[in-house]
Amino acid sequence: MLLDFNKLGAWKWALSGICALMALFLLLPILFIVALSFGSSRWLIFPPPGWTLKWYEELFADPRWLGAALTSAKIGVIVMVLSVALGLLASLALVRGKFRGRAVLRAFFLTPMVLPVVIVAVALYAAFLRLGINGTLPGFVIAHLIVALPFAIITITGALETFDPAIEDAAILCGASPWEARLRVTLPGIRHGLFSAAIFSFLISWDEVVLAIFMASPSLQTLPVKVWTTLRQDLTPVIAAASTLLVALTVILMIAAALIRKGKSE
Amino acid sequence: MLSAIAARRRGSGLGFAMPAILLLLAFFVVPVAALLTRSVTEPEPGLQNYVTLLGNSTYARIFFNTFFVSAVVTLITVLIAFPVAWALAIMPRRWAGVIFAIILLSMWTNLLARTYAWMVLLQQTGLINRSLMALGLIDAPLQLTNNLVGVTIGMVYIMLPFMILPLMGVIKKIDPAILQAAALCGATKAQALWRVLVPLAAPGIASGALMVFVMSLGYYVTPSLLGGTANMMLAELIAQQVQSLLNWGMGGAAAFVLLVVTLGLYAVQLRFFEPGEGR
Repeated sequence: MLLDFNKLGAWKWALSGICALMALFLLLPILFIVALSFGSSRWLIFPPPGWTLKWYEELFADPRWLGAALTSAKIGVIVMVLSVALGLLASLALVRGKFRGRAVLRAFFLTPMVLPVVIVAVALYAAFLRLGINGTLPGFVIAHLIVALPFAIITITGALETFDPAIEDAAILCGASPWEARLRVTLPGIRHGLFSAAIFSFLISWDEVVLAIFMASPSLQTLPVKVWTTLRQDLTPVIAAASTLLVALTVILMIAAALIRKGKSE
Repeated sequence: MLSAIAARRRGSGLGFAMPAILLLLAFFVVPVAALLTRSVTEPEPGLQNYVTLLGNSTYARIFFNTFFVSAVVTLITVLIAFPVAWALAIMPRRWAGVIFAIILLSMWTNLLARTYAWMVLLQQTGLINRSLMALGLIDAPLQLTNNLVGVTIGMVYIMLPFMILPLMGVIKKIDPAILQAAALCGATKAQALWRVLVPLAAPGIASGALMVFVMSLGYYVTPSLLGGTANMMLAELIAQQVQSLLNWGMGGAAAFVLLVVTLGLYAVQLRFFEPGEGR
């Protein structure tokens, strides 16, 4: 009764109403920012008195925004590659390994996801100051890799668990070496998991704020750090323009992820 | 034959996990341990950092803010997420798909972009204050940012997807026949809701609530942008001690308290709820 939508009677409308309100609550702030980024009011008056592209012009005229975006992209791609590679190896061990303590190891791999990022950030900040890599590209990459890896491991272990090891065994029986079987049978079999892990890892690095604030130096900062420092000074519409571009990127990556999922089910 | 395969793939063991293990040891375990050590060694060996942290009224206020805001955020999130997750689990596919896409979009939109949206919406001259005044509900703008109200709204916004998605999974797994049985036995809808559906979903609610609470406790970005310096939360205290005051001992002590609470609640989650269920 309660789990059959059409037999809910009046409750059906109450539930649908709550759902619709919540969807608006989640969606409106995002649409609001997009609208403001094209609005002509510096004071972010809504509805905007007129429409303009000047905030985007201001955004692209400032080389620091572009530089920060490039830095973010560079770090994101390196993190993506390393996270998928290390995540794949770790997942092979977790799913196919035959050693004791695999459950403990899995929990260990997920701890960076559970621990508040600010603790990791402060701890790495101290360590990197000592090592002299604070404010450098490797510093950023290591910091982001620590938080991206658990997501890659979750995604890839999920894919590996649904991939029947008997197929790999069959390849070995037919004369393939274990490495050949892994590379040419298992990897293509779990490619959707690998793609999802790559997208997740990139997005985590690209969007990451807290670690980046601690890792940043005046000469090297990511896009979120640039947004953060600007935001602390004033609520300029240039941030709305930058945010809109970030939303656009999110939508594109989400569509890519959905297409991958669709390809998997077909 | 099978043992021959097993022998050939003996390599797929612990060795594969080594790069990830070494990375985490070097850049996660050791740095965090070093930070915590500094809480009892700086400025001089002893527990004085913890004495100050737990005995001083300024810090007591910060702990109160942290736990209070996290509890309120968790409560509001559960109250909104339960009906939404319930509806999503049973709605016609097309509508559920639309709402699902909105949840994912919000979840994956840059955190700073979302927080910026709320800073603009909630400010004195923002859309919300203007609308309320235009409707004649208030005479003067409400103070909605630089206080815990703003933090709570901003955090609920961020936490909702983390509660809805796992809860939806739990409700989907409930057998509709159980509720049909309740109806056949004469339960009204309200009775079936309180005495059958809610208890069956309770593990999912508890597990999701715990996750939201833990995430809220350690949140940094939203509280510092929407809360202002006068309404600090624990994560901001840690950052401030280390970054502005260079007081590593105190920062380490605050980090240790946050870490113990977080891992303690995580252990509860693992112990009582099936791992993976809440994620």
